[in-house]
Amino acid sequence: MLLQKTLTKSNKTDLYLDLAELTSGLLLVGFLWTHMLFVATILISQDMFNSLSEFLDKYYLSYVGIPFIVVVALFHFVIAGRRIPTRMQEQRIVWQHAKMLHHTDTWTWVFQTITGMAILVLAGIHVWMVTTGWPIRAVNSAHRMESFWWFYLVLLIVGEYHAGFGIYRQFVKWGWFPRKPIGYVTKAITAIILVLGLAAMFVFVQLGGAL
Amino acid sequence: MSVYQTFITDCLVVGAGLAGERIAVEAASQGQDVIILSLVPPRRSHSTAAQGGMQASLGNCAMGEGDNPDVHFADTVKGSDWGCEQDVARMFVETAPVAVREMAVWGVPWSRVVAGKRILPDGREIEEKKEKEGLITARDFGGTAKWRTCYTADGTGHTLQYTMDSIVIKLGITVHDRTEAISLIHDGENCFGVVARCLRTGDLRVYIAKSTVICTGGYGRLYSASTNAVINEGNGMFVALNTGVVPLGNMEAVQFHPTGMVPVWILITEGARGDGGYLLDKNKYRFMPDYEPKKKELASRDVVSRRMIQHIRAGYGVDSPYGPHLWLDIRHLGAKHINTNLREIANIARNFAGVDPVKDLIPVRPTQHYSMGGVRTNSDGYAYGLKGLFAAGEAACWDLHGFNRLGGNSLAETITAGRIIGKKVAEYTKDATISYNYQLVDNAVKEQENRIKALVHGWNGKENVYELRNAMEKNLMDYVGIFRNGKDLETAVSNLREIYHRSLKLGLRSNGEGANPELAQALRLPGMIKLALCISYGALMRTESRGSHAREDYPKRDDVNWLKRTLAYWPEGADLPELKYEPVKITELPPGDRGYGESSAQSKGGK
Amino acid sequence: MADRELTFEVFRFNPQKPEIQPYLQTYKLNETTGMTIFIALNRIREEQDPSLMFDFVCRAAICGSCAMIINGRPRLACKTLTNTLPNKIKLFPLPVFKLIGDLSVDTGTWFRHMSLKTESWVHTSKTFDPKAQEERMDNETANKIYEAERCIECGCCIAGCATANIRDEFLGAAGINRVARFMLDPRDERTPAEYFEVVGSEEGAFGCMGLMACDDNCPMELPLQMQLAFVRRKIAAIGLGYKPKKGIKLA
Repeated sequence: MLLQKTLTKSNKTDLYLDLAELTSGLLLVGFLWTHMLFVATILISQDMFNSLSEFLDKYYLSYVGIPFIVVVALFHFVIAGRRIPTRMQEQRIVWQHAKMLHHTDTWTWVFQTITGMAILVLAGIHVWMVTTGWPIRAVNSAHRMESFWWFYLVLLIVGEYHAGFGIYRQFVKWGWFPRKPIGYVTKAITAIILVLGLAAMFVFVQLGGAL
Repeated sequence: MSVYQTFITDCLVVGAGLAGERIAVEAASQGQDVIILSLVPPRRSHSTAAQGGMQASLGNCAMGEGDNPDVHFADTVKGSDWGCEQDVARMFVETAPVAVREMAVWGVPWSRVVAGKRILPDGREIEEKKEKEGLITARDFGGTAKWRTCYTADGTGHTLQYTMDSIVIKLGITVHDRTEAISLIHDGENCFGVVARCLRTGDLRVYIAKSTVICTGGYGRLYSASTNAVINEGNGMFVALNTGVVPLGNMEAVQFHPTGMVPVWILITEGARGDGGYLLDKNKYRFMPDYEPKKKELASRDVVSRRMIQHIRAGYGVDSPYGPHLWLDIRHLGAKHINTNLREIANIARNFAGVDPVKDLIPVRPTQHYSMGGVRTNSDGYAYGLKGLFAAGEAACWDLHGFNRLGGNSLAETITAGRIIGKKVAEYTKDATISYNYQLVDNAVKEQENRIKALVHGWNGKENVYELRNAMEKNLMDYVGIFRNGKDLETAVSNLREIYHRSLKLGLRSNGEGANPELAQALRLPGMIKLALCISYGALMRTESRGSHAREDYPKRDDVNWLKRTLAYWPEGADLPELKYEPVKITELPPGDRGYGESSAQSKGGK
Repeated sequence: MADRELTFEVFRFNPQKPEIQPYLQTYKLNETTGMTIFIALNRIREEQDPSLMFDFVCRAAICGSCAMIINGRPRLACKTLTNTLPNKIKLFPLPVFKLIGDLSVDTGTWFRHMSLKTESWVHTSKTFDPKAQEERMDNETANKIYEAERCIECGCCIAGCATANIRDEFLGAAGINRVARFMLDPRDERTPAEYFEVVGSEEGAFGCMGLMACDDNCPMELPLQMQLAFVRRKIAAIGLGYKPKKGIKLA
């Protein structure tokens, strides 16, 4: 037995970290999917979108929610990121491993780490753009979308990919449901959200052009 | 002086199968220092492949009611065709139930009795009793009067080996896997240990021990078609034989199974024929009724095997790159039956031959299955000829099986003999001291070093290892198989003698460096051919039929002249074994009719 | 089908001669009916290259010796028929395990180490009484234990596992499944806390990232995802202080 391991025996850190990863992940997926549903209200009407946004402002939900989600996201990045190999050699091993192994779930995980990193940067920019262009109203959003539609296209795909496979992986790890069906369900939800997101984007870009 | 690593221990066990590990556990729990050598990691040993079960007369299940060691004893002796040592058989049947229960405490998940009524495939209704629920149950096996074969689903050998190895790990017993004993160190009277070759690096090592135990399993792979694992090449037997003073017992007693699947020789169990499968020849003709009008495919194992070979010899075999074979046809049983009742067989056919038995025929032929012979020991496991040398399990001729082993008795022998002989080994080792002549050890290593150098550099010749090996396998298969006769056996002996001489001129084609597999094979081959000669010469000399030894020219058992055991010695420089004989110990049951099979020359064994 | 010429590209490297870089060697072989990788490799060794190192023991998918990467998948070579593969067959040794040479790896040492770490033996205070009747056990319990004990330690799950590839001490699916086997066994007297000590870390239950290459590649088709999740849930519950009513012996 090594000294350092003897002294840190029966430590529950790994358990808590695992639970923290699970909780923060679920929170973020929940947020993202709700967020996209909210955004999709533009498909119904501008008024619907604006009134929802005003409602959230009125009860300070956005003022509490946004910083909270930012903190959770950073937290999730640190916690889940502990699994990502940090040393160059380890990264090369993983890359080599994925290339050798003809295995879908291994590749989806590789892309999940990549999308995770990307989200940190892209979502950061998104939050900055939104908060500097406060408040959130259909018109403001439409302007942003028109100018930066390519940015949002990437963020949408990357974000939904990460969330969809993230929640699938948590279900697989904890085994609440069998693997195959949960895979279909998460993929279906992701597809629906993506379609809604793309449609909303299209509407916003149209709207931005018309202004 | 040569450079080699030396290990000194109390007890050295060669072979980490069930018998070897059981002995190691016994010696270690009595406080001795033990090293186990093994060709492969212990959990890869061939013991794991015994799926059927092990016999022990617990008598818990409905069809085992009234069973006791006496019934088991009678079955074993009859099965052996009175070739076994009856004091050994007695000890064995009394200890087997204890050994089974001990394994239960150690962790084997034995299948248990479930109370209630059920209907057997033959229509009989039986009822498992409530008061027996949860006790270790048993299944039916050929040649037994009661259901006595304890099992864990379809992986008895696997769970036994894993459990035994868990105890080895728990006790912290040293295991040197990927290490092959290549010669015994001895002075003609005492055994001091072994010279071994590391199969990771190719380095030679010396192991010095107060007691050396050979538990290396059988020699199935001397035959080109064998159900055995590829590591079963009789290593322990020929290193003992090479000493010139240790004899091998009853080497001519070789068990065959009728339906090994071509081309990988995996066993197709009797279930296929039991449920109504046919054997067909190259014209898709069902031939068994012609030979055995009454029992057809369901005649005893050795009868079916013999008829199959007879039919192939008559030119009705199906030609294949792997030699002639016959077909097993179960298509008419229907997809449902095949995929449920015969699932195991269907999976084997699909996975290992790419054949779907629902639509296709399964290629089969009789296949070598078990070696009853081995290093001759007394009832305490002491090898004849050298003090400090022991043997147990299939490698030994303790002589529980005589001329035919009963199904389920092989697995039972490993842990039961391990338990009994382990105690004897521990007793012996406790009182023994280590004293050895350094020069003797050094010479033993040098001898092996010189052999290796000669092989690598081709000093003695350039004979091809694999060519000779194939020639040996073919000779045994063709002439010393299921049917034996004087003419064929003479051919085999003379061919094998020639092959033996050629094997002294082996030369490698590769460089032989490190853990070179060709070198490993070349080091073993002359010893393997010696075993082949012990088998064929012993068979030639034994002019009777007994158990699995079936002579066409002497079809009857001959208790007047042959109620005795063959002992094969290999004198230095010889090219044939020297055969001696010893009487068989009969303590309880005088020779009589076996009570099954069509004649007393028939055997019925099991997996 | 039987007339195909197969091209084998085989990884060659001898760690004892590190000056020779790893390379792929090509062998050609005519396919025969019912040919498995076991038959093919032995023919290559006997007819073309006697120095080629690989391991087989039982050649019947029982012993677990012959796992290797066959066209990108960890599989048992004995159980792989060539007619299920394209003309070109690429063979690599399993990663993670120590390379002995060519296709041969040292799985034995890894698994013994794993058994020691997980203390893979029945922990009991009882001593064996040779005269007593065996203790009773429910047949269903026996079957459940056997289900988890069916693992043949071939190493396919470990080789396919990304975590095991970068974290030396990770127990992998084989190790966690092994713990499940003892958790299910009523004869094992270890307390929940003791089990937590064994697998309650990222070297054990919490190290799995859920890539499931183990579940997809197990040649014995063990329900590894469910076993891993079972241990994760039980161990998490123990760690959070749940006191199971009847020990943790319930599946």
